[in-house]
Amino acid sequence: MSAGAPRPDHRLDAEHLELGGGLEVLLAAALERVPPGGVLEVRTPSRAVALELPGWARLAGHEVMGEVPEGDGTVLQVRRGRTVRVLAPPLPERESPPPLRAGGEHHTADLRGGAAPATADPAAGFAPLGAVPEARASGYRWRLSDPEAVWADDVGELVEQASAEQWDASREIPWGAARELDDTTERAVAQVMTFLAQNEYAALYVPARFLPQVNPSLAEVVLWLSSHVYDEARHIEVFTKRALAGGLRGYALASTELSLSTLLDEHDFTNASLLLNVLGEGTFLDLLRFIERHAPDPATAAAARLAHRDERRHVHFGVSHIRRAVAANPEIETALVAAVEARAAKLASLSGLSPVVIESLTVMSSQSLVPAELSEAAADVRSLMSTMERNRVRRLTACGFSSHTARYLSDLHSPNLM
Amino acid sequence: MSGAELRLGAVSYHPRVVTVWERFRTYFADHGVPTDYILYSNYERLVEAVLDGSVEIGWNTNTAFVRLDHEVGGQTRILGMRDVDLDWSTVLVTRKDGRLDAVEDLAGHVLALGSRDSGHAAILPLHYLAQEGLDAEARCELIRFDTDIGKHGDTGDSELHVVRAVAEGRADAGALSAAYFSAFRADGVPDVADLEVSWRSPPYYHCNFTVLETFDRELGERWSRVLLAMDYDDESLRPAMELEGVRTWHPGGRAGYESLRTAMQQQRLLS
Repeated sequence: MSAGAPRPDHRLDAEHLELGGGLEVLLAAALERVPPGGVLEVRTPSRAVALELPGWARLAGHEVMGEVPEGDGTVLQVRRGRTVRVLAPPLPERESPPPLRAGGEHHTADLRGGAAPATADPAAGFAPLGAVPEARASGYRWRLSDPEAVWADDVGELVEQASAEQWDASREIPWGAARELDDTTERAVAQVMTFLAQNEYAALYVPARFLPQVNPSLAEVVLWLSSHVYDEARHIEVFTKRALAGGLRGYALASTELSLSTLLDEHDFTNASLLLNVLGEGTFLDLLRFIERHAPDPATAAAARLAHRDERRHVHFGVSHIRRAVAANPEIETALVAAVEARAAKLASLSGLSPVVIESLTVMSSQSLVPAELSEAAADVRSLMSTMERNRVRRLTACGFSSHTARYLSDLHSPNLM
Repeated sequence: MSGAELRLGAVSYHPRVVTVWERFRTYFADHGVPTDYILYSNYERLVEAVLDGSVEIGWNTNTAFVRLDHEVGGQTRILGMRDVDLDWSTVLVTRKDGRLDAVEDLAGHVLALGSRDSGHAAILPLHYLAQEGLDAEARCELIRFDTDIGKHGDTGDSELHVVRAVAEGRADAGALSAAYFSAFRADGVPDVADLEVSWRSPPYYHCNFTVLETFDRELGERWSRVLLAMDYDDESLRPAMELEGVRTWHPGGRAGYESLRTAMQQQRLLS
């Protein structure tokens, strides 16, 4: 180099690499090792590269300070620009990665050691967990950014279970077995399955409405709600298929519609979790167990069994979330009670489960209209109602409500299933 | 003038010009030199607007600046320019198998040029080649891509035609700005993959903010200070600065326009 040339901070031999052929990558890596304002000396045997390099440097925010022939090639001095390439703090040094479990499994719950994040930036974009976000004026304002508003201690484990327990409603149900029932029984099954599918729509739309409000950095919650939505999609699928599998149809009842519509009125995540996950899906657990036990055919039993497995997770999330939320802020108990009261007030005209549903459950269980058999089935359905009540109170207690409040809330819920 | 809103004229060579100037307008207002922008469809209209006082500041290409400066006998001042405007250059590109060792080798061959009103893709290549001993108009077959006339090469459209003509063998060499060639390369434009730079012109200046000499000197200096203080590392400014292709603003100067002035005189583009 000429005597006046600044001393380079780093040197690079481009050898036969060309711009457009990988030299940009080498230059970017080499410039990372040069401080802003520092000089990278680039040697190239190619005249074309030497002629093109100043244009590249300008575009990339740098500047070619000088170039001199040397041997068979050219040596160019590239001064690194002072502006930062990515408007963010430097990436952290390599650290120990999340732990793996037996068999090399990488579990969602281990991504951040199970602890809830302290905060989430409401204006953050779609920055994946752990990423260093570049500063940009974003238009986002995530409504659900307070981790406490959506978190559950075992949400990571629940995501894990949801992935592990996926199933196929087209292939894992013995559909052929759904075609053999007599008209009376099949009509009852079609009605019960129609009722279930109708309810599962609400169970899908409620989490689906919250999903795009959740701050993306609360990744576990985003994954959880997505799994919930997909679970419910499959439940809609399997119960619709079973309703149609015997060739008969059921009613989509207006009373059911009224009950479900009030679930969509709730805009607070925790209140909605109490109404849907704990009270609604909790009550559904007992119903699905009943259907599995009393199903007149293996297809109905399998559909109920597989849906029950998913609903158990959803109920678990609700209990876990509400227990945490109430423990952190006991004052929200009043709001939770008010949410159940508000729903009950809107449903004042509903006196209980539709007789059409009760009758269909009974006939489905008895598989006949013979009085003696009906009597036994009716007793089973009554027993189901008290099981639902008992378990509802138990789940509410697990959420942290006193037994008195739990009883009160359970009674308010009783006209609904979901 | 102080306290009132300045009027700045720019050419709408792309929809992004609106995005850029909406942001810059807020920036200038926030920094005590409120500046509105008025868009023109071509640089000839912008030059007229500066001359007749419709706007005080013109965001000119080099060709527009030289014409404006010529019209008022050199009575203009430059308030600033981009970092990239300080060392603009023109390159000749060839296919890798059609290498050009000296400009003289182009004699008898086909040379593609961009829009005839583009300093970098037409006027200056002819000028610099002549300086190096090649009268390309007389000794080469020229293909001109006169697209987007009035935009002075800002759109890059004619330069894309130039590289395609060379890549497809319709021309042996093509002239375009080094900046556009590097941008085509960075954007992965397939036509440039098998092209290389065979010649590069001396550096010259490109765009600048021009006012007439009669413009309030103190206000002009204040406007320049605000312009030069724009920070690329400010997240609220970076998107607009990226769109404008600037990382830092500079005071600039007149020296880098002499080659174009001479070229335009020789090519009878200044009346």
